[in-house]
Amino acid sequence: MARGLRFWVILTSVAGFVLLGVVSWVSYHTTRELIAANQRLTEKRKAIEELTSLHLLLDDAESSSRGYALTGSPEYLHTYSLALAQLDSTRQIVRHDFSSTASHRRGLAELDALIDARLTVMQELIRARQEQGFFAAVDIVQSDRSRKLTDQIRRRIVVMQNEEHNDLLDREQESRQRAHSTTSAVTLASGVGLVLLVAALLFINRLLRHRERVQAALHNAERVQRAILNSANHSMISTDVTGRILTTNAAAQKWLHYSQKELIGASICVLHDSRELQARAEGLGKAMGMTIPSDFQALIEKAKYGVPDSIECSYVRKNGERFPVSLSVTALRNEAGELSGYLMIATDISERRKVERMKDEFVSVVSHELRTPLTSIKGALGLLAGGAVGTLPESGRRMLQLALNNTERLTRLVNDILDLDRIESGRLALHKETCAVAALMRESASSVRVLAESAHVVVEAVPAGHAVEVDSGRMVQVFVNLLGNAIKFSSPGSKVVFAAETRGDTIIFTVKDRGRGIPADKLDRVFERFEQVDASDSREKGGSGLGLAICRGIVQQHGGRIWAESELGLGSTFSVELPLAVSEPVAARA
Amino acid sequence: MGKTVLIIDDEADIREVATASLQLVGGFIVLTAASGQHGIAVARQEKPDAIVLDLMMPEMDGCEVLLQLKNDPEIRDIPVVLLTAKVQGMKKEMAQAAGAAGVLMKPFDPMLLPAQLSEILGWADVDREHA
Repeated sequence: MARGLRFWVILTSVAGFVLLGVVSWVSYHTTRELIAANQRLTEKRKAIEELTSLHLLLDDAESSSRGYALTGSPEYLHTYSLALAQLDSTRQIVRHDFSSTASHRRGLAELDALIDARLTVMQELIRARQEQGFFAAVDIVQSDRSRKLTDQIRRRIVVMQNEEHNDLLDREQESRQRAHSTTSAVTLASGVGLVLLVAALLFINRLLRHRERVQAALHNAERVQRAILNSANHSMISTDVTGRILTTNAAAQKWLHYSQKELIGASICVLHDSRELQARAEGLGKAMGMTIPSDFQALIEKAKYGVPDSIECSYVRKNGERFPVSLSVTALRNEAGELSGYLMIATDISERRKVERMKDEFVSVVSHELRTPLTSIKGALGLLAGGAVGTLPESGRRMLQLALNNTERLTRLVNDILDLDRIESGRLALHKETCAVAALMRESASSVRVLAESAHVVVEAVPAGHAVEVDSGRMVQVFVNLLGNAIKFSSPGSKVVFAAETRGDTIIFTVKDRGRGIPADKLDRVFERFEQVDASDSREKGGSGLGLAICRGIVQQHGGRIWAESELGLGSTFSVELPLAVSEPVAARA
Repeated sequence: MGKTVLIIDDEADIREVATASLQLVGGFIVLTAASGQHGIAVARQEKPDAIVLDLMMPEMDGCEVLLQLKNDPEIRDIPVVLLTAKVQGMKKEMAQAAGAAGVLMKPFDPMLLPAQLSEILGWADVDREHA
């Protein structure tokens, strides 16, 4: 919409100004022409007047010559001379006025000839008076020549004056018409120009109102955005590409005890622990094979390549206090795709850390406090059941075995819960070493031998070559769990096959049973905690429902994967894929 | 004559069960101590053949007791087997690095405890004699 309006504003403005320009130009030239025409009219009037004055001067000269002829007074000769002088001057003017057209020049030549003839008569009169006396002069006066010439000159002047007068009238008419048409055109053009400019103003007004609405919407969006930023329970700080702080939200100011004014323009590094920055720079530098300065670069080195980066580090308050944060660093880019700065979103993880510490303490307490009575119970029951403290009747031994089995189950449950907690919190320490696949398989199979025998199930282990880099204890725990499950769900007399085969640079271990199988919709869920194919399994089979979740956690921590395939009624196959070791197994080296 | 084993554990029930197991099943002579301090004193006085030491105890924990035992020239050669409830928390190698002969996990099977202890300490022959 704004682009359309801008087009119309430009179009109407340009058209209006062009039109007004044309009007101004036309008005200027018309005015100049009118001035010139007026000047010409003035000249015409003056020429007419000059002709009249020429006629009068001729009359004056003639009167003076005749006065001299009658009186012989030299005074008349003086006035005659004055009249002639003026006549000469006036004739010059008349000649100039009537030199423009051929008609004028012809009329002027005729008039000049008549004037010269009349002046000749006047001179003859004066000369006759001077040389021949009064009567000779009277003869000349009485002759008809002078009168005829005077009449001819008068007629000639009247003709010329009439011609000039008519020309004057024509020019006046022409000037009026031109002035009228020019006035009309200028009025019309001015009107159209004004209409166009008014239209341009209206368009500008609409454009401004549109811009105001857009700005209002932008301000509103900005207010909403600011409200969201300020109500967020995260510290949000944006910086330029050099690490200077550009914006902060309310949480950042509140957590860090700085005012907005103090933070803007400051380096983001003042909010970080320099030792942490140094450690990160060294760690990143090592991983990336380059030297990274232990300043702002240590924070953004990953993010600037578009890699989402999340760091657990400390923020330092104005008073020097530190608190742990989970910091997410994102590179900001402008419309052209160029790096324009960074956004640092931090979450205060003080509470999480506190909870983790509490959980650690809890796990430690559970580990000790639950196991201590369990140790006593299991020990006491074990001694009783083993006959170390005497012989019990058959019914007593059955009850004792029941108690012992459930003590075992409770022990497994406690162990599994603690294991899973360590795996899920990432605190499971793996002591990896290169182990022979065959040795791992043998140890696992050996661990379930008693269970298999009591269930009358044959475990057929097909040891393979190769080696894997694993925490042998943990990996045996995985295989024992899978073999134990396979045995528990196999019918007496059936076989569980434990095999391994390589695929590229990995090895796949499989535990295959001929049990009841797992429905397809539960194949993935069996790896979730407390998920069992049948709810009664935990009671009947003695499992905690955590075994496969633990297996998955351990396998994943080894960079492998675990999955199940099954056909209902035909059995299940659990597979574990692990990367092959590049070095020789420990035992083989030894 | 059977080997003498000193059990150092703050839990009376566990001391009793372990004593019964080692005496009745393993045929060992068992001494007990309810604290690290007391255990060290008994060890100095009685010079047992082995010490079964609980890791988590109030006041002086198993690690500190182990340190003191190993720093005493008179008793530093007595093998110490750690008794721990930590799940896979301590492996045999780690215990050996700390100066212990091995690790026994809680909860233990009292019928197997003497055999496990004998295996760790290389008393297999003795164990077989009593089995």
